[in-house]
Amino acid sequence: MSGKGSPAASRRKGLTLTDVLVTVVVSLVLGVVYHVWASVSSIAGLLFVQSDELVYGMWFAASTLAFLLIRKPGVALIAEIAAAHLEIAFGSAYGIQLLLYSVVQGLAAELVFAAFRYRNTSAGVAGLAGVAAAAGSLLADIYYGYVAEYATWLIVLKYSLRAVSAFVIAGLLMYGLAKLLEKAGVTQSLRPVDRKEYDALDG
Amino acid sequence: MKFFEPSRETWLHRANPALKLPLFVVLFVLTVLTHRIDASFYLACAFLLLLFCASGYPPWKTALLASGFALAFASASLTMILFGKGSEIWWSLGPVSISEESFYRGLHVGFRSIAFGSQGLLLVLTTSSTGLFYALMQRLKLSPKYAYSFMASIRLMPMALEELRIRRDALAVRGTGRGSFSLMRLPELYALPLLAQSIRRAQRTALAMEVKRFDTGKTRTYFYASPITWNDFAAFLLLAGTAAAALLLANGLPVFGLGDMRMDP
Repeated sequence: MSGKGSPAASRRKGLTLTDVLVTVVVSLVLGVVYHVWASVSSIAGLLFVQSDELVYGMWFAASTLAFLLIRKPGVALIAEIAAAHLEIAFGSAYGIQLLLYSVVQGLAAELVFAAFRYRNTSAGVAGLAGVAAAAGSLLADIYYGYVAEYATWLIVLKYSLRAVSAFVIAGLLMYGLAKLLEKAGVTQSLRPVDRKEYDALDG
Repeated sequence: MKFFEPSRETWLHRANPALKLPLFVVLFVLTVLTHRIDASFYLACAFLLLLFCASGYPPWKTALLASGFALAFASASLTMILFGKGSEIWWSLGPVSISEESFYRGLHVGFRSIAFGSQGLLLVLTTSSTGLFYALMQRLKLSPKYAYSFMASIRLMPMALEELRIRRDALAVRGTGRGSFSLMRLPELYALPLLAQSIRRAQRTALAMEVKRFDTGKTRTYFYASPITWNDFAAFLLLAGTAAAALLLANGLPVFGLGDMRMDP
């Protein structure tokens, strides 16, 4: 985007209330999904030791989906915090740690998007952001759940399953969902408008 | 009467959320940094007791809400007991090996999860979302666009649930969404329409809010005042006193008498 944008273009650069509210609401819908997912997770957990990690990636989905839709700095972090806030608002006892986990995971995902200067919205980058969020959750787990004290094979199994799941669910699946929403025409009014498009109007 | 309505107000209810939230985060960090099982045991007991005394809810309600801690205790401690590292093996079978160290570490992790749960529930039961965001805006200079977005989202939640119900009924009437491939079509049948509707509604709501200047930062007035009062000092003393009592008891009257719970601290 060039420096001398029209007022309308420059107004849209930072996060507006619309961006924030849409981000929060995307997390909210995923929050509804999370409640269903909690039972999916407990059923998946019956397969083998730590098999519930196979579906763990859903917990990182809010940040990638929100970024893929809005494509602005900060939305990945806000989406994670909003998902945690929902739990607090509806009386979850584990709200405080969900909040701190969400900050760590959201920042990790945000870092990946920032590394690509918020321009790259491919499925691979979304997957990478999901894996970064999973790594963030590992960091939090070490302090919170003492996972470093598990037998080594268990640590490797647990976190490689989680990373794969994060790549597939938070990355590929959310990319697909964002594409579907794009096809439905929902995203047009969400994204920052390029200078090019204003020029096209002038010409 | 609504379920989430305290029957009486305590100091914690009247304390300013902008101070209370950081206080609870400090408590959380303190509990995370607790590595002795005696300390975690007493922290769990002390905050469970405080939860029953200071949440302002009748004991049966508090007990109902706190019953989830049993599950949290089990899930936190079982994996550690069965698969934790340790040298004093008590019993082993295949990948499972229960050692003395992993057993006590498992209990320790379980006690911590009860302490976390009690602290978290205490915060949730004594704080309203609206109060929290008004306090964050006025005391900690949180930008109103975030505060009002988060507050608005709580009101949008029932609509999203209502839409989910309508969607499910509509699909049932049409006879779609059944059969072996229904799980694969879940994103298309549910996630897409629900997200699209919610995003559009959020946009309309946000535009109306922007027009009404909900996002103006400087020199604005607030519907609710959020003052700092003596209640905040009382709440601080109550929380700090509970934590200090737990740690003093752990030193003076240890139940387990074990050291650091980590292998190499």
